[in-house]
Amino acid sequence: MPFDVIGQATMESDDSLASYPLSCYEKCPIPPRHIRQLDEIPFPSRPYLDYYPADRGINAGYQSKVRVIDKYKVIGFISSGTYGRVYKAVGRQGQPGEFAIKKFKPDKEGEQIQYTGISQSAVREMALCSELSHPNVIRLVEIILEDKCIFMVFEYAEHDLLQIIHHHTQNPRHPIPPATVKSIMFQLLNGCQYLHNNWVLHRDLKPANIMVTSAGQVNIGDLGLARLFQKPLHSLFSGDKVVVTIWYRAPELLLGSRHYTPAIDMWAVGCIFAELLSLRPIFKGEEAKMDSKKTVPFQRNQMQKIVDIMGLPTKERWPHLTGMPEYGALGSLQPPMLHHHSHHHGSKAASASHLEKWYYSTIGAHSSTSSPSSNSSLSSLGQEGYKLLAGLLEYDPDRRLTAQQALQHPFFSTGDKVSNNCFEGLKTTYPMRRVSQDDNDIRTSSLPGTKRSGLPDDSLVRPVKRVKEA
Amino acid sequence: MKAIHPPRHVVGRPEVCRLCVKTERRSASQQGRHPAHLCANALLTTCGTNATQGFGLASVLPPRCHCTQAPPHSTYTMAASFWQSTQRRFWIFSKDELEQIRGKLREEDQGLVQMFPLPEWRHLSIYFNQQVNRLGKRLVIRQQAMATAQMYIKRFYTKVEIRRTNPYLVIATALYLACKMEETPQHIRLVVQEARSLWPDFLTLDISRLGECEFFLISEMSSQLILHQPYKTLTTLQSDFYLSQDEISLSWSIINDHYMTDLPLLYAPHIIALTAILLALVLRPNPVPGSQAAGMAAAQAALAQAQGARGLGSGLGSGQTTPGGAAEKESKTNEARVGKLQRYAAFLAESNVDIEGMVDCTQELISFYEAHEQYNDKATRDQINRFVKARGLDKA
Repeated sequence: MPFDVIGQATMESDDSLASYPLSCYEKCPIPPRHIRQLDEIPFPSRPYLDYYPADRGINAGYQSKVRVIDKYKVIGFISSGTYGRVYKAVGRQGQPGEFAIKKFKPDKEGEQIQYTGISQSAVREMALCSELSHPNVIRLVEIILEDKCIFMVFEYAEHDLLQIIHHHTQNPRHPIPPATVKSIMFQLLNGCQYLHNNWVLHRDLKPANIMVTSAGQVNIGDLGLARLFQKPLHSLFSGDKVVVTIWYRAPELLLGSRHYTPAIDMWAVGCIFAELLSLRPIFKGEEAKMDSKKTVPFQRNQMQKIVDIMGLPTKERWPHLTGMPEYGALGSLQPPMLHHHSHHHGSKAASASHLEKWYYSTIGAHSSTSSPSSNSSLSSLGQEGYKLLAGLLEYDPDRRLTAQQALQHPFFSTGDKVSNNCFEGLKTTYPMRRVSQDDNDIRTSSLPGTKRSGLPDDSLVRPVKRVKEA
Repeated sequence: MKAIHPPRHVVGRPEVCRLCVKTERRSASQQGRHPAHLCANALLTTCGTNATQGFGLASVLPPRCHCTQAPPHSTYTMAASFWQSTQRRFWIFSKDELEQIRGKLREEDQGLVQMFPLPEWRHLSIYFNQQVNRLGKRLVIRQQAMATAQMYIKRFYTKVEIRRTNPYLVIATALYLACKMEETPQHIRLVVQEARSLWPDFLTLDISRLGECEFFLISEMSSQLILHQPYKTLTTLQSDFYLSQDEISLSWSIINDHYMTDLPLLYAPHIIALTAILLALVLRPNPVPGSQAAGMAAAQAALAQAQGARGLGSGLGSGQTTPGGAAEKESKTNEARVGKLQRYAAFLAESNVDIEGMVDCTQELISFYEAHEQYNDKATRDQINRFVKARGLDKA
C-alpha cells in the first residue's frame, strides 16, 4: 500500500524488482528471516520523482513531470511556520487516504522567486524522511520539486498530542485515560528507539510534533531539525546553536553543553509524559531572546522552572556538571520553594527533588472522583509511572534512560497489555483537526507568515522556536 | 618500531550470535569487549535493523544479536541501517545492470553519443575526481564530503546522459549538496564564485543555475542523499586488525581511489573497506617494484584461504599456514604482517562477508590502477569541453 501511488507513476518498478540482484541475497550475511522483511519492501526504482529529460530542463529550466495540483486536490490549510505551510489534501488519481502536504517556503529575491539553494533543514528532512520507515515515524509518500518549491507529501494524521492534551483541558478538565497515556508513551519511545538506532537525533520533540492517526497510531513528525549524529565531522553544537523548543530543552543544553546525545530527546519525552499526566507543560519557562550579538543567553527562567521541581543539580548526581559552560550561572538560581519546611536547610534540601510529590499529586488530583484502584484512574499508573518519569527526567544525560531502556521499563509490563491503538477502549472521540478554507491555493506564491489561520501552533500560546542556522 | 601484537588464536568460550546464528569465539583478551567486533555479521546488520517495529511486550525484547545489546550510543560505530538503506535498496547494481542502465541512456541519445565520443567511464570518473578535489581544496572541504559529491555525480549519471548536462555545473552542485548533507554547509555564492574561477569558460556567476541544478540532482536521486561510506568501516576495524598508521593511511587512500571506479555502485561499503584493508596489508611492506604481483597473490591467497576455511565449518585452527609465498621472509615486520593477515583471514572465515565480491573488488582496483596509467587528462578534458561548448550547455 505505501507505494501504490508511486507504482502508477513508475512502471519500471516491477522490472527493477525482478532484476534486483538476487545474488546479492545469496551472499547477504543476514539470516533469511530478516531477508524476508527486506523482501517485503517494494523496490520502485524511482519511488518519488520523475520529470522531463534533463536536457530540455537545463535549457528551458527545470520542470517537474509530476504536478502537485494534477495529483492532489487541496482541501484545506492546516498551519504555517517559518519553514512554510502545511495543507490537507486528497489524491486525484485514486490514491487512498488523506495527505498532509508540507510546502517549503522559497526564498524571494526582489519580487521574483529564485532558486537560492535549498535550506539545510529542508535537505535534512527530505533525506531523512526518504530513508526512514517505521510505524511510529511519520510516513513520507513522495517529494515533488516543482516551480522552485519543495512539496513533501506525508500521510495525513488527524490528531496531534498538543490537540489531544488541549481537548482534555476543556469542559470540564479531565485526565487522559491511563491506557491511552501508556500506549502513547510506548509508541513514542518505540519511534525514538528507531530514530536513535539509526543515528538520528530528532532535536525538537514536543506535543505539537507528535502526530496521532485516527487509528490511534502515534507518529513522530517534523524532522526538520533532526540530524545524523554518527561520527559528525564537527561537533553538533557548531551547526545549530539552539535546538529544542525551550520547555522541552534538556538541562545539558540549557547549561551550554557542546556535545549532546540522544539523551536530549529522552528529556523531551519525559516532559511530554509529564504533560500527558498534568495537561500542562511541566517546565513552562520563558525564553530569553538572543541578543544582538547573537550569543546564546543563559535560559535562567527555564532552568529555574526545572530546579523548582527537580531540585538543584549536584555533581554527585551529575558528575560532569561542573564542566558545563553555564555551571557558574546555576548559583544564581533559587532553590526549590515547593517544600516550606526545607526552605532554609542548606544544600541538601536545595538539591532534593520534588518530582515524586509532583507526580503523586498530579495522578492523585484526578482520582478524587473515581476509586484509586480503578483502571480508568491515573493513579493506576502507580509507582512504576513515577520511576519511568524520574528515569527520563534524570539530570545526568549519561544516566538518563535510553529509549530502549525505557521500553523495557516495568511501567509497560505491569497492568494491562499495551495497545498499539492509543484510542482503544475510549468512548470519547477527539475533534478532527481544524482546517481552514482561506487559502487553498497551494500554488500561490504568496509567502506564509503574513496570514494566520487554521490552527497554528501558537494559537495555544506556545513559544515559537526554530533553529537559527549558523 | 612499535611492538606489534602477535597473531591471536581466537579461542575461548564460544558464543552464538543469535542474529547471524554463527558460533563466535572470544579470546581471553576479548573478554569484556563487545563481541560484535569479531562478528562480521554484526558489522553488517548491526544494531537496530531488527529494532522493535511491532507492538506488545514481546517486541520490546526482540531477538538480539550481542551486537545489538545496547552499548552506549557513543560507542556505536557502525551505521545501523545499511541493509535497509536506500543505498542498499536502490543504488547498488550488478555489473550487468549497470551496463544495461548506461546502454539504455546511450541508446536514447544515439545521435549525441555518436557526435561526441567520450572516454571510458573510469577516465571520466578520474576527471571528475580531480575536479571535485580542486574545488574542494579551494573551499577547504573535508574528504568525506568530496567522496559524497562523487557518489552523487555517479548516481546522477546513471539517470541522465552526460552529454545532456554541463558536468562542471553538476560537479559544483554535487559538492554544494554534499557539504549540506555532511553538515558542513558552504554558502551557495561562495561555491559558485570558486567554481567559476576554476572553470570560467563553463559557468556563470548566477547562483540560480546552481540552485536549479540542485533540484535536478535531488530529483534524479529521489531525495536519497544519505550515504554509507567505507571510511567508517575502516575507522571501526582498524584497531581490531591492529593496523599501523601506514596501513590505515594506505587503506584510506585506496578508498579515496575507489571513487574513480564503478565500485561504489557495485558493492556495499564494508566490502570496499575490507578489500582496501587487505590490499594495504599485502602491499605495504613491499615497496620494492615488482613485488606488487606477489602482494596480489598473497591477497588472493588470503581470500581463498578464508573461503576454504569457511567451507570447513569452524576453520580457524586449520588456517595457520601463511598465506601466499610472500610471507616466507623472516623479518619481524613480515611476521607481524603475516600475523595480521592471519587474523584478517580468520575474521573473514568466521564472517559471512561476500568473499567473491571482495575478489572482484581486488581485481577491479588492480585493473583500475592499470587503466589510470592510460588516462589522458587533456584528451578527457577536451572531449568533455567539446560537447559542453558545442551544445551551449555552459550558457544554460
